[in-house]
Amino acid sequence: MTANLINILLGGVFHAAILFLVAAGLQVVFGVQRIFNLACGSFYALGAYVGASAVNAFTGAGGPPALFIVPLALAGLLVGVVGVVVERGLLAFVYDRDETFQLLLTFALVLMLEDIVRLTWGTAPYSTSALYLAYGQVNLLGATVPVYNLIVIGASLAIALGIGWLLTRTVFGRIIRAAADNREMAEALGVDMRRVYAKVFTLGTALGTLGGALVIPATAAMSEMGIELIVEAFAVVVIGGLGSMRGAFVGALVVGVFRAVAIAVYPELEMLMIYLVVIAVLVLRPRGLFGRVAV
Amino acid sequence: MMLSVEGLHVYIEASHILRDVSLAVGEREVVCLVGRNGAGKTTTLRTIMGYLAPHAGRIRFLDREIGGMRPFAIAQLGMGFAPEDGAIFADLTVAENVEIATWTRRTGRPAGDRLAQAYAVFPVLRRYGARRGTQISGGERKMLSIARALALDPTMLLLDEPFEGLSPAIIPEIGRGIFEITKLGHAILIAESNIHHVPEYTTRLYVIERGEIIFSGHPSEVQRDPAVLRVIGGTP
Repeated sequence: MTANLINILLGGVFHAAILFLVAAGLQVVFGVQRIFNLACGSFYALGAYVGASAVNAFTGAGGPPALFIVPLALAGLLVGVVGVVVERGLLAFVYDRDETFQLLLTFALVLMLEDIVRLTWGTAPYSTSALYLAYGQVNLLGATVPVYNLIVIGASLAIALGIGWLLTRTVFGRIIRAAADNREMAEALGVDMRRVYAKVFTLGTALGTLGGALVIPATAAMSEMGIELIVEAFAVVVIGGLGSMRGAFVGALVVGVFRAVAIAVYPELEMLMIYLVVIAVLVLRPRGLFGRVAV
Repeated sequence: MMLSVEGLHVYIEASHILRDVSLAVGEREVVCLVGRNGAGKTTTLRTIMGYLAPHAGRIRFLDREIGGMRPFAIAQLGMGFAPEDGAIFADLTVAENVEIATWTRRTGRPAGDRLAQAYAVFPVLRRYGARRGTQISGGERKMLSIARALALDPTMLLLDEPFEGLSPAIIPEIGRGIFEITKLGHAILIAESNIHHVPEYTTRLYVIERGEIIFSGHPSEVQRDPAVLRVIGGTP
């Protein structure tokens, strides 16, 4: 019984760790640029495919399986440069336009990236060769847990702390918080917002692509995985509060664990369970747990 | 001249807001731009700061044409700006609100000097270092905004209505602070809607009405012009 419960909870926390990375990317971009980036899910999918390809190329070239996490994480981070291209090449032209226009543009990106993935990797599920258990499993209170899951949970926690440190302790972090608060005043102090936007969007993209890369040893990449994740990331943001990093953290935990419990108890209720939480939050606290404004 | 504006025309949407505005600010000068609400003072300052693009006319700052340049580049040239609402960063502490200017613009002067100078002008701000930027009074926010602009180590300051909406008790304190800044050698352009708030150390006065400059000269001269006084509400 305990073993079963621990398995379910840790499975949920593993999912939450991945979800947090994508949601954190969504939050930082929204917080500074006021753009709700639907394409965060597509960046996640892109990271998954590129990560899987990098790992397969690595093992194909005779790389030791135990080191697969190195090319995986590197590929996940590097594909984040897509963010600069998207920001400078597309978003830069719509900052002065209506929000619906910006939302439509990021939705167009979702569709385009999904097709690019299909063209490049085909429609069949794509995965790494069996590496998920390369780091073995450990016994936790009777439950058998893949060490890889614990590594991802640890990495995600470290990234959460790193983001917190970046935002509150570094000069760049404090400048972007000021810019998020009052863009015009930041410019009057000599801040080049074009560069800030490019950096912030790239950071947000890299968090999403890294999340996608890290999930892939545990599952197979599919072209529609991006869309599925957008729905969950949206729930995370509503529960946690739009624009809040703490909200992304707590929201991801809530969604991850509730989803895991629902799947274990009554799989048909997986999404319904999450929506019930979302509805409860919207009714009781419309701005989310840590948000400043109502969604 | 440190700043010279010539024949400035500015439109917002389809409205002709500034018509042929010309003004100049020399080194170490304190210049006041006086006019009623809606006369075009803020638009003039925002255009100099680069938020609005001039439709026609020239803006020269430190011998460079800055019309059409982006605000951040104008700030980097050494133009400090304190807007009317203060624009204090709510998410940062009072101390961070001042310090941020030393991060966003690096100059030859050490950050410590720049901060010391900003606090020397408004010493009261030192007391609130750890408070959030919004947890101080309206007058202190105005001071914070000016101190932040000064910490940028600028050559010139644009102050939009530094005395607006403040209690009579705090106005002299801000006036003293601005006087301290003049002693540091900065040129200052102040927008002001109340002729009685124009500091006595003002070297030159412009009166703006419906987007046009209707008077320019020494503050004492405006007292002899009843037509202008009627516009800005002073008693002759």
